[in-house]
Amino acid sequence: MSMFRAKKLDLGCFVNVKVIRDHSKRKAFEAAEPERQALRYVIRNTTLPQRTRAIAQLQLTQMHCYTRPTQIRNRCLLGGKGRGILRDFKMSRFNFRMQALAGNIPGVKKASW
Amino acid sequence: MSVPRARLLALMKARCELFSTTFNPEGLRTGNKVLRQRLRGPALAAYYPKKLVTLRDLQEEFAPLELIIDDEIDDDRLEHIAGLKARGKSAPKKKKGPPTNKEKKK
Repeated sequence: MSMFRAKKLDLGCFVNVKVIRDHSKRKAFEAAEPERQALRYVIRNTTLPQRTRAIAQLQLTQMHCYTRPTQIRNRCLLGGKGRGILRDFKMSRFNFRMQALAGNIPGVKKASW
Repeated sequence: MSVPRARLLALMKARCELFSTTFNPEGLRTGNKVLRQRLRGPALAAYYPKKLVTLRDLQEEFAPLELIIDDEIDDDRLEHIAGLKARGKSAPKKKKGPPTNKEKKK
């Protein structure tokens, strides 16, 4: 969805189309979050008329899929991989191992006892 | 010793005023928990690092002052491509315009 993509590349990590896509989704979600929360509030408010709540439900489902938080997936900063990402290091498990063994990650040491 | 409900409600009301929460003695679902949630967008959008200054930016910045910065990696790349071109092994030229029917059929 090119309308969400930044006109100029603004990423300083490994870049491939999946990373760019995920980044666009994050930006789109950030922009649409207040609206989404407002709709979610209306939907969950039982004191409002049923019709209003139903309309809010429809509006929320009809928002673009890029504005959904569930579309966001953490990806590896070094290789763009989408699976096996260590959240604390934002790296895939293999890249994490390589960096850790090379001593590039402060405070990480291979266990041995 | 039991406390009357009216007094408990008064206490609850006073507490809500003090801590500026909504007074909802019937426990109706008003969706306030959605409003209480923090916005996650800024944290999520800051996942990938921003683009830093590149050598090319520096080159463009200093070009008017006639200061030249050498990008050795890029120079090596261009040299390699020039070598390929000289041997006729480089990538073909990009086509201009939409493909014609003849090319499509091939």
